[in-house]
Amino acid sequence: MAAGQPNRLPHGGRIDRSQPLAFSFDGRAFEGFAGDTLASALMAAGVSLVGRSFKLRRPRGIVGSGAEEPNAIMQIGEGAAAQPNLPATRVELCGGLNARPTRGWPGVRFDIGAVNDFFGRVLGAGFYYKTFMWPRSWWKHYEHAIRKSAGFGQAPDGPDPDRYEHMNAHCDVLVAGGGPAGLMAALAAAKSGARVILADEQNEFGGSLLASAASIDGVPAAEWAASAVAELQGLDDCVLLPSSTVFGYHDHNFLTIAERCAVHPGSSNGGGVRERLWRVRARQVVLAQGSLERPLVFCNNDRPGVMLASAVSTYVERYAVLPGRRAVVFTNNDSAYRTAISLAGAGAEVAAIVDSRFGGGGRTGPAGELGARVQALGIPVLAGHVVSDVAGRRRVTGASIARWYGDSWGNVRNTIRMDCDLVAVSGGWSPAVHLHSQAGGRLDWDETRHCFLPAEARQAHFSAGAGNGKWSLRECLADGLRAGAEAVSKLGLKPVAVRAPDTDADDGENPIEPLWRVPAARDADRCPRQFIDFQNDTTVADIRLAVREGYRNVEHVKRYTALGFGTDQGKLGNINGMAVLANVLGKAIPEVGTTTFRPAYTPVSFGVCAGESVGELYDPVRTTAIHEWHEAAGAPMETVGQWRRPWYFPRNGEDLHAAVARECLAVRKSLGVMDASTLGKIDACGPDVVEFLERIYTHNVGRMKVGRCAYGVIPGEDGMLMDDGVMARTGEHRFYLTTTTGGAAAVLDWMEKWLQTEWPELEVYLTSLTDHYSTIAAAGPNSRSLLEKLGCDIPLDKESFPFMTMKPAVLAGMRVTLFRVSFSGELAFEINIDSNDALAMWRKIMEAGAEFDITPYGTETMHVLRAEKGFIIAGQDTDGSVTPVDLGMNWLLSKDKDFLGKRSLQRPDCLREDRKQWVGLLSQDGRTVLPEGTQLIGDTGKPTAMCGHVTSSYFSACLGHPIALALVAGGRQRKGETIYAAQAGRDPLPVRIVSPVFYDPKGKRQHV
Amino acid sequence: MLLIECPWCGPRAETEFSYGGEAGIERPADPYALSDAEWADYLFFRSNPRGAHRELWNHAQGCRRWFGVERDTVSYRIEKSYRLSGAGSGRPAAAHIEASEEKRR
Amino acid sequence: MSETGLPLPGVEISVRSGRGYLNLRLDPRRGQALEAAERILGQPVPPAENTFTASEHEIYWLGPDEWLIATAAERVLSLGSELAEGLAGFHSAVNDVSGGHVELLVSGADARMVLAKGCTLDLHPREFAPGQCAQTGLGRAAVLLAAGDPSIYTIVVRRSFSDYLRRWLANAARPYGARFPAR
Ligand SMILES: [Zn+2]
Repeated sequence: MAAGQPNRLPHGGRIDRSQPLAFSFDGRAFEGFAGDTLASALMAAGVSLVGRSFKLRRPRGIVGSGAEEPNAIMQIGEGAAAQPNLPATRVELCGGLNARPTRGWPGVRFDIGAVNDFFGRVLGAGFYYKTFMWPRSWWKHYEHAIRKSAGFGQAPDGPDPDRYEHMNAHCDVLVAGGGPAGLMAALAAAKSGARVILADEQNEFGGSLLASAASIDGVPAAEWAASAVAELQGLDDCVLLPSSTVFGYHDHNFLTIAERCAVHPGSSNGGGVRERLWRVRARQVVLAQGSLERPLVFCNNDRPGVMLASAVSTYVERYAVLPGRRAVVFTNNDSAYRTAISLAGAGAEVAAIVDSRFGGGGRTGPAGELGARVQALGIPVLAGHVVSDVAGRRRVTGASIARWYGDSWGNVRNTIRMDCDLVAVSGGWSPAVHLHSQAGGRLDWDETRHCFLPAEARQAHFSAGAGNGKWSLRECLADGLRAGAEAVSKLGLKPVAVRAPDTDADDGENPIEPLWRVPAARDADRCPRQFIDFQNDTTVADIRLAVREGYRNVEHVKRYTALGFGTDQGKLGNINGMAVLANVLGKAIPEVGTTTFRPAYTPVSFGVCAGESVGELYDPVRTTAIHEWHEAAGAPMETVGQWRRPWYFPRNGEDLHAAVARECLAVRKSLGVMDASTLGKIDACGPDVVEFLERIYTHNVGRMKVGRCAYGVIPGEDGMLMDDGVMARTGEHRFYLTTTTGGAAAVLDWMEKWLQTEWPELEVYLTSLTDHYSTIAAAGPNSRSLLEKLGCDIPLDKESFPFMTMKPAVLAGMRVTLFRVSFSGELAFEINIDSNDALAMWRKIMEAGAEFDITPYGTETMHVLRAEKGFIIAGQDTDGSVTPVDLGMNWLLSKDKDFLGKRSLQRPDCLREDRKQWVGLLSQDGRTVLPEGTQLIGDTGKPTAMCGHVTSSYFSACLGHPIALALVAGGRQRKGETIYAAQAGRDPLPVRIVSPVFYDPKGKRQHV
Repeated sequence: MLLIECPWCGPRAETEFSYGGEAGIERPADPYALSDAEWADYLFFRSNPRGAHRELWNHAQGCRRWFGVERDTVSYRIEKSYRLSGAGSGRPAAAHIEASEEKRR
Repeated sequence: MSETGLPLPGVEISVRSGRGYLNLRLDPRRGQALEAAERILGQPVPPAENTFTASEHEIYWLGPDEWLIATAAERVLSLGSELAEGLAGFHSAVNDVSGGHVELLVSGADARMVLAKGCTLDLHPREFAPGQCAQTGLGRAAVLLAAGDPSIYTIVVRRSFSDYLRRWLANAARPYGARFPAR
């Protein structure tokens, strides 16, 4: 049985009373209406306690009506679709909604943490730093307990069932905020022909107009807003995004918007789109995000029933909810007078307007129409007074009122008590300058409005409306129009004249008088708590303590007191906190400075950040033309760069070691075949190609005859090996270059960079052929027989087709290029073929190879085979600090020419004799396969210096023992020496330094 | 995310480009005439200014051209992007800029 | 509604098969080389950045001295050797890259929306009009994107990325009721 709605007004509001919606909160059933937020529905139901405070566990109620809400933080829904930490003020009510407070473990109404409040004296600023950080090793124990009682929301317990989309968009003018200023700016821009995006965080456009009693152009403000929206909808290229928060303003007018698409937060959207991230590049931006009302700082100002005056108006006017029956309105400016009028109009009793202003002037309220209307309603105004304290724990029961003499740090005397269940407060307004600040714009403190205003913009944006310090509706509308027109002019479009609408809203207000801290009956460190940041329980006393302990800089004080570090990012507390700090330090507010606002303006879900780049779309997967065969063969895959490569091909449930041993022996004894298509391939041609490649590679490229292949290495200009691969001279002025799988793009970029920036006089064209050609390596003593069996139109004997040459051919009826190169040390042919034909060729090879027991092998076997031969893998045996000399490749370095990196090899550091050099290692015990990365030491003394590390290590089935490759200081001169491999938890293992070539050191097998 | 103007393709998102470091670093004509210190200066030392910085970018996901950009390292404002000199000039491209082809944002 | 009673898809994705590709490089400032190429190709080689010409072949601008010629697969061999011969006297490069590319067509009223999910280009018809092409990113793959008739886009992607891109497109288009032929 749902509770009733005792606080629902009989008429009015923008709710649909014909659509009741059942929901639950904290395990209890409630009912609200379509058009409600969770907050307004709770308030209608008379729920005043919605959570507990973070540190002190104090009971808390709803304070605001929008993104600024610090207390009503909810866990919505359950299971995989649950959403933690949503402010109830931003959750649109829907049927079946299930909400729990995130801050109130184990329950809102009974809370063991409330005891913290009594011991709160020891929980001052910096408490966590002082207490729990020592001893450091205990932190993990503290952390668990603190996190649980601190009551953050709970993460969903399964993968998110819904979709999150990204959408890139471009526009001439992006308008952030759809209140009066934003609507006018959008109209001005769109009517002039600009492409406009208008985004507002609420589900309905209009902003403050939706809760305004004023009329515009003779119709109620909300109606005017609806017609403005209708007009925008009718215009070409105008995109309207409700429920969309512009949360980030990044470089070069790039903005990010989070759109809430799902109707039902906290439960699955049926796999549909729940949220969408708009990534907008805007030529001009109008920031019309309005302003945030500031609370006032007095004793127990966090009690449920103390609310922002503007929020009270919003609940009454927009949601037809009466937040209290007997209200005290406490203000230092005019805007709260409208709240008093709203309350009175809705049937509440306004016990008094307590106004800190007009103390000495004999005045009893503001001049002009507002004052007159309040007077006509018979609402008493206590001018020159303040509310210094409130009574009541779980709900306000009364307010203590005292005279205000203008001294924040004195003590109040002779307070009077006034019964009430609602205190509506207004400490003035702070423009929402967050996006302006994110965009790099400066903020200036305004001495008459007492707030930070957006100063000069650093990107292409304009601020408008209340966000620009324009408080009155008339000014807001005009300012929005101005900003829209200015944006249009900047675009070079001709602004179409748009008339500023007329309004009957009250203007000509009395200025605000600053009131940053209300004095109490006792001095500031002993009086009841005066809250500045409700979410993090930061009080005036905390800031004073921070200053006493030596903190001066606002950024330090914020971190020490946690001011502004909650999910609300201090939207209510930051300015009050800075003002109090300035006050304590005896400085002016601008001297203390402001803080830098960073994205996100409001919390953004991980889901919308990730978008659709999840699961199989997390990162592109590159596959070869033969991939489906590998998959069908059941090969486990290894990721190499973005490529998926078969790791090994298990037979009959073999594990990695068994399969690799079998594959290795097959290549050495008969025939293996590997898909090497992932190698980078580049066609280089042009009259200057030899000269160009001479400068890039270390060997004498020009001496290569057409049809010859050569192994080449590419050093960086620092002399360190960057990449390696086989190249072939395919013509007088043409070469075919191969790179490592991972280095393909980098090598092409490297070559193009030199060609385009440094040597534009060289006529060379480079074309990537990586994807066009597939490469099938057939290796083993029977590889020639395989090709002969497939049918080849050229002779394959070693005289006609010697090692390290290449030839175009027709193989098995298909056009191929054959390379007699070998990465295994065996007789081998690499078959390059158009990728369209590669799978068919592979199948033919497997069929023809059956008689030789052809064995497909993967990357692991390839690694073992090349390690047995002492061939490097760039990026595994090298790490950017290894020169070709370190690798023993002096034979590759031409003495007859310069090449990139050559000069660097003569730097003193490259000539050191104790540089780490690449060698082979044999475990002395004959059976230990050293883990790759193993640290090598010269002796077993403790402590001892490291002299190298293992770069590659395998068990060689062919040799019958483990082999390892390593970089060892001065290693080449130390062959035969025994050093030690450090082993975790065991004695160092003796290892012997040997040549890195373990198998067929004369290289006879590949020449047959 | 920066919006970088490729001198051929126009303004494109930063994700299409790769960065190539400071522009105008000429490779010494005769590296062996340089002392180790001079060579190290060419190799490792960059001006890293606060403010205007000339740098190389490659339109990696687009036309694959390398080009020059003048970017403010404080505000990230790009003052201009420009083509490097064309083929056959015989001089290091980084040393001179075809002023006529400079594009202003 | 379609004949089957299912809602008409807002986007349709198909693979264009039977295509062959040549990569052409030459310096267009050398007029004779350009003329020779155009004579052999029988259509203009687009001089303007990020445009393409469509006649017997589609010729896409890839860079100031680089084009992709898309044509019928069976034409590639002869066209390639004709070009190589015709341009033999000039600094040029002609490469058969038929195995390296996969061509996809994305069409329909929502095609632009689907592409905008993963492409940072401004695809507004005023900014990316028929006849224009661009090498850019789609999802997390590099592609050549070309605007044909309104709401028809051609995507040429490197073969090794094509499987990923098809999955990406299928996923992106699902909310728009995409039809995507099984592999
Ligand atoms: Zn470009």
